Amino acid sequence: MMPAPDPMQEQQTHCPNCGAPAPFRGTAVSLVCEYCNSTIVRTGVDVKLIGQVSAIVDNGSPVILGSRGRFKGTPFEVAGRLQVQYGRGTWNEWFINFADGTTGWLADAQGQFAITRPKNQQVVAGRVPPYDQVAINSTLTIDNIPAVVVDRRAASYKGAEGILPFEAEPGMRFHGVDLRGHKGEFISLDYGTNPNHNSPVPYLGEAIALVDVGMHPLRSFKGWRRPAPQGAAGRAQQPAG
Amino acid sequence: MAAQAPSAPRKLFREEAQTGAINCPACGGPIELHGFGAVEQVNCPYCGSELAPEDSGELELLQAAQRARRSSALPLHARGSFPGEQGKPEEFEIIGIMWRECRVDGVVYPWQEFLLYNPYIGYRYLMFTMTDGSWAIGQTLDGAPRLETGFGHRKVTFAKDKYKHFQTSVAIVSYVEGEFPWQVKVGDQAVAHDFIKPPLSMSIEEAATEDGQDVNFTRMRHIEGAEVWKAFKLPGKPPRTSGVAMLQPNPYKKGRAITWVLLAVMLVAWLVAAIAYVDGRTNKVVFAETNKTVSDTISEEVEIGKKGEMTTLEFDLRATGLSNAWAYTEVMLISQESENAIGFGATAEEWHGVSGGESWREGDQTPSVTVGKVPGGKYLLQITPSAGQQGSAANTPPPNLKLSYSLKENVVLGRYIALPFVIIFGFPILFWLLGRVYEGRRWANSDYVSTSN
Repeated sequence: MMPAPDPMQEQQTHCPNCGAPAPFRGTAVSLVCEYCNSTIVRTGVDVKLIGQVSAIVDNGSPVILGSRGRFKGTPFEVAGRLQVQYGRGTWNEWFINFADGTTGWLADAQGQFAITRPKNQQVVAGRVPPYDQVAINSTLTIDNIPAVVVDRRAASYKGAEGILPFEAEPGMRFHGVDLRGHKGEFISLDYGTNPNHNSPVPYLGEAIALVDVGMHPLRSFKGWRRPAPQGAAGRAQQPAG
Repeated sequence: MAAQAPSAPRKLFREEAQTGAINCPACGGPIELHGFGAVEQVNCPYCGSELAPEDSGELELLQAAQRARRSSALPLHARGSFPGEQGKPEEFEIIGIMWRECRVDGVVYPWQEFLLYNPYIGYRYLMFTMTDGSWAIGQTLDGAPRLETGFGHRKVTFAKDKYKHFQTSVAIVSYVEGEFPWQVKVGDQAVAHDFIKPPLSMSIEEAATEDGQDVNFTRMRHIEGAEVWKAFKLPGKPPRTSGVAMLQPNPYKKGRAITWVLLAVMLVAWLVAAIAYVDGRTNKVVFAETNKTVSDTISEEVEIGKKGEMTTLEFDLRATGLSNAWAYTEVMLISQESENAIGFGATAEEWHGVSGGESWREGDQTPSVTVGKVPGGKYLLQITPSAGQQGSAANTPPPNLKLSYSLKENVVLGRYIALPFVIIFGFPILFWLLGRVYEGRRWANSDYVSTSN
């Protein structure tokens, strides 16, 4: 049930700013101190202070750090959050650790969720157009999956919490393209800060509903009953009564 | 914010998310906030002013307005339960109401869109079409439909469902009230392509903003007004419906599978009955005469069927020696018991000639007449023949004319076989026709109207 203990030995590090424990895990590169909001970056055996991030805004997500679920049989735990801002609002990219030691992302935008895992750039390098030439509602074939471009926009990192696999500087503007397949596949192409190239980092996965991956625990909302937690096998259990 | 460690971590978002209550900075009206942090815009229900929640929790006045509040079909903050994907009921709250309209040939078609929200599930859209009183519920698709290529009607496919293009229209926002997770303004326009497979629809809507573009696929499903009323536990009845709505299920197609199964069963039953019926006929000859001339009048007593039972008679006339001539026999059956008479005639004829360089020949020289429901008993059979020829010899019978008669009882009556057949096929054909008429009324509101003005 619980994610396996970290494959890498956990180092006891501390926040250079406030001295609180800074529990880096796995391959995490960046961590937001839970006590003082400082962004701490791991450099080899040392940690470096980057500065304070702007606080995450409450954008109503039911997911919290430590939420667990099971995606295609593999348990995962939410380790960090990157909050992204664009012209019309914010969305969340939750960094998740799978029990098998791999990592992925849980995209969380306006009540729609998708879980993706990073793939090698070679899968798409040279086979997709540069960011500016990606036509909305056109179909691209990525890793043999035909998928429709549903979103293409530039957005900025607004804030972060928990641990992240890279150093996310607030305000950094990056370019992304989202695609949806005909069978519920979800693909993100991350072109990074410079859109003028055709080898984005691909993230492949599928659209999910929180209840279907047995997400638990979830945040509580006044006036709403939390959905019943699901069994370890990821199957719905009848709530008592 | 100096570098000092608080005694405990902040534990972001571990506390319960709270609903809010605030007074409209424009009109002072009490605004309830039930959309939690996901809300990007609030429109004061009372004055319509556009407000944006700030990170601090305050509401920033984006644009003051003084519009009147409209009475929508459902009230803001009402909660209703609808069956989810797995059939389990899912509760939603109306947090936003938007009225939109499109214009077709100068006519305005308004509808109301209710934004349903559950913090654990997300958003659903509930649509009420004001022109026909119909309802539909749906959500953003977790996937992308496939555009069918090739000729013919524009179609998209998703999850094995094929949707036909119904209309493309410009939807304009005319009224906003409550909370939305995106910005929406009165006057906002969006081009929507609607594809339908009643009771489902697939709507494709493209939108562009300064920092990017997106396309949204929304799948909706027709829902009866009564179901909406039940979901929200509302008193009274939903607004009346009229006409055929875009997604209204065709009642004549509803039982189509059953109709065909029933048709097959009935055809088998009909075949069995028909065979049994034909097999059960005796075709017994009760009277026969051959080689009679036209001057031979027949008057003979015959015994037909069984007393107290009905039978079907067949009278066969066979004429030889007809050449551009006719022979007619008048047949009378006079019941010896009831004195009731059954009369009928049979005409044999033969015509031929040459016209336009082609020779032709027509006429039936062996006519048959079937008479149903003849009571069994003793009858007097009278056969009175007459004949004539073409032209000047109109009243002269052909010299070589010979007539043969036979009367059979208990024969097959064709209409006993044909009539059930017509009825069996009639209903599916009728339903098919009514279904077509229904579809015609649906598609009369689409971009594909056959009549033009």
